[in-house]
Amino acid sequence: MSAGFVLILLLALGALSWWMARSRAQALYAGRGSLKAMPNYHGWHMALWTLVPALVGWLAWNAAAPGMIHAAILADPAAAALPAMDMERNAIVNEAIGAARSGGFGAFRPESAALIDPVKAILARFGWIGTATTLILALAGGAYGYTRVRREFPARTRVERAVLGLLLAASLVAVLTTFGIIASLVFESVRFFGFVSPIDFLFGTNWNPDPFAPITPEIGKKLGAVPLFWGTLYIGAIIAMLVAVPLGLMSAIYLTQYATPQFRRWAKPTLEILAGVPTVVYGYFAALTVAPLVRDLAGAIGIANPTTESALAAGLVMGVMIIPFVSSMADDSIAAVPNAMRDGSLAMGATKSETIKRVMIPAALPGIVAGIMLAISRAIGETMIVYMAAGAAARLSANPFESMTTVTYQIARLLTGDGDFSHPSTLSAFALGLVLFGVTLALNIIALRVVRRFREAYE
Amino acid sequence: MSKSAPDWQSPEAARRLARRYAAERRFRALGVASVSVSLLFLGFLLFVMLKNGIGGIDWAFLSGSDSTDAQVAGIWSAFKGSLLTMGVTLVLSFPLGVLAAIYLEEFAPRSRWVEWVEVSINNLAAVPSIIFGLLGLAIFIQFAGLPRSSPLVGGLTLALMTMPVIVIAARNAIQAVPPSIRDAALAVGASEVQATFHHVLPLALPGILTGTIIGMARALGETAPLLIIGMRMFAATPPTGITDSSTVLPMQIFLWSGEIDRAFVQNTSAAIVALLAFLMAMNGVAIYLRNKFETRW
Repeated sequence: MSAGFVLILLLALGALSWWMARSRAQALYAGRGSLKAMPNYHGWHMALWTLVPALVGWLAWNAAAPGMIHAAILADPAAAALPAMDMERNAIVNEAIGAARSGGFGAFRPESAALIDPVKAILARFGWIGTATTLILALAGGAYGYTRVRREFPARTRVERAVLGLLLAASLVAVLTTFGIIASLVFESVRFFGFVSPIDFLFGTNWNPDPFAPITPEIGKKLGAVPLFWGTLYIGAIIAMLVAVPLGLMSAIYLTQYATPQFRRWAKPTLEILAGVPTVVYGYFAALTVAPLVRDLAGAIGIANPTTESALAAGLVMGVMIIPFVSSMADDSIAAVPNAMRDGSLAMGATKSETIKRVMIPAALPGIVAGIMLAISRAIGETMIVYMAAGAAARLSANPFESMTTVTYQIARLLTGDGDFSHPSTLSAFALGLVLFGVTLALNIIALRVVRRFREAYE
Repeated sequence: MSKSAPDWQSPEAARRLARRYAAERRFRALGVASVSVSLLFLGFLLFVMLKNGIGGIDWAFLSGSDSTDAQVAGIWSAFKGSLLTMGVTLVLSFPLGVLAAIYLEEFAPRSRWVEWVEVSINNLAAVPSIIFGLLGLAIFIQFAGLPRSSPLVGGLTLALMTMPVIVIAARNAIQAVPPSIRDAALAVGASEVQATFHHVLPLALPGILTGTIIGMARALGETAPLLIIGMRMFAATPPTGITDSSTVLPMQIFLWSGEIDRAFVQNTSAAIVALLAFLMAMNGVAIYLRNKFETRW
């Protein structure tokens, strides 16, 4: 039985039970106040009783069935001839299951081809058992729900309790996601640190992962992540911020303090478009247009053998991408400065620019700094621009014209290569991810705390 | 400083004033320059992509699949993959996000536990997207055994990424509904659940939809997490379902950008033009919805 069929059947049963309970409740109606809940709520109550136990049972069955099917196939007389080796036997059984499901395709080994017919019978049997259990649960739940349709039954309260449970479950998904991120990063990182000592990883300066190298205690000497941390900070926190902070800040000041409302009305949304352009587009633009310009510039100022991939090209484009973000954070902080401070300064005869430089910016500084921290956390987590424009060379260098690599680049490259998943070189991607997650989380928490305290100071 | 009034008419004072006014003009020019740099950059980017790509957009390009020959390669299979992925994302993140927002705004008790939920939603909105790729790889592919490279896994991963955005937008929209609406419903005998679902939610819906579209537009342009879960494949035929191997439009751009053949420059730029046009259409719908339905109380 296909999953779609079972779901449609259940939905049909649910609709039927809604209608049954509702019409029975309507029949019970005998004037004002005779029913404790509206007929609709009786309908929903019975529909929930029909659907929820059946769905839970069906999901549980689907989780348990593969193991039972496997055992049933091995117990079948046709499987007696299979090799005793677990791995090989499982491969054959899985192949036979796949072939039986797709109508005979995919059975490459003679053993699995011979198994197809018994496997088909077993699959059909288990499919029927699953569907039948689900239906019985639906009917039993529905029957119980039907007996509840009485005049004094508080159906609405019960239904609303279920709705509240659903709301709570939805909000738990966010916590589960955070938990899932931390758990998966920590779990794989622990496996990685089983091969490589954290000291080698965090303080080593030689990054040269090879997913096919034999696993020896020496492998940690090639997995020192300092060049990656340096490249990430150099591109994301230095070059990109040198572009984004002055331009973003001045844009915010101009748009809020000088520009006419008409100009502001169309310039601000246009600026926001920069934040909505997908990063892969920036990456391509950096590689296609900006990187050759940077290379020519490097050649012109006398650097020998400039490469097309450079930290400067990636950092510049990333900086432009971050401008709207810095600008809107600065905008918010400047707007939070009380008008009395600005008016006081202007009344004393200061010009507009003096007021901005000497009064508004110092007053808004905590908010601006927090905004810059959030911008840095965004820049160091950015992947596609550096993937397409910054290069793969792990290098400790302060020369912006050289190619450099970042944490995000290496995560993407290690996990898209065809190396074995349990090799330390591949697992190091998760350790890098853990470092990245920790740093961005810390930046965000500190920045949000600064912003909150700053807001309170002026309230 | 002497007690007597300063002489505002002296040449020295006039010079000082002129200097201050010059500084004022310079500062203002700096502001104009900053805004112009950003706008010119955007204009230059769009110009380059249009110049390189506009010639490549025709029906064969929009309806074709990936190919090693730049002349016959098209974006339909990648675009269909994007649509399937977005479908999974929307079906999961919209109800989850709206229900979570309703809980946090209307029903949540002020407890430590709820504070945890809020903190984790705010932080998830700022986690780098590539981390969600690691989550998808470890949980959905390695642990749950879902098919690699499929729109199902891609959609699940992006749904977790989009949900916090929708929760934050929905909470703001629900907050903007005045308490008098709720109070009026409660006063005529509605239960709290009825007041929320029959009165508050319909009024907040335009704001929620706007936020959802913006979140979906972000997810549509996302590449890094999908790279991690293996959606970088050569899609010579469109995917037939959500468990089929597939690629997405931004990934197609990424894959073509790595081709050595110069003929792919046109394809890449044309795909970028198509993607940007689609994103702008989505944002246009969001702005239209906001202007049409937004109520100011």
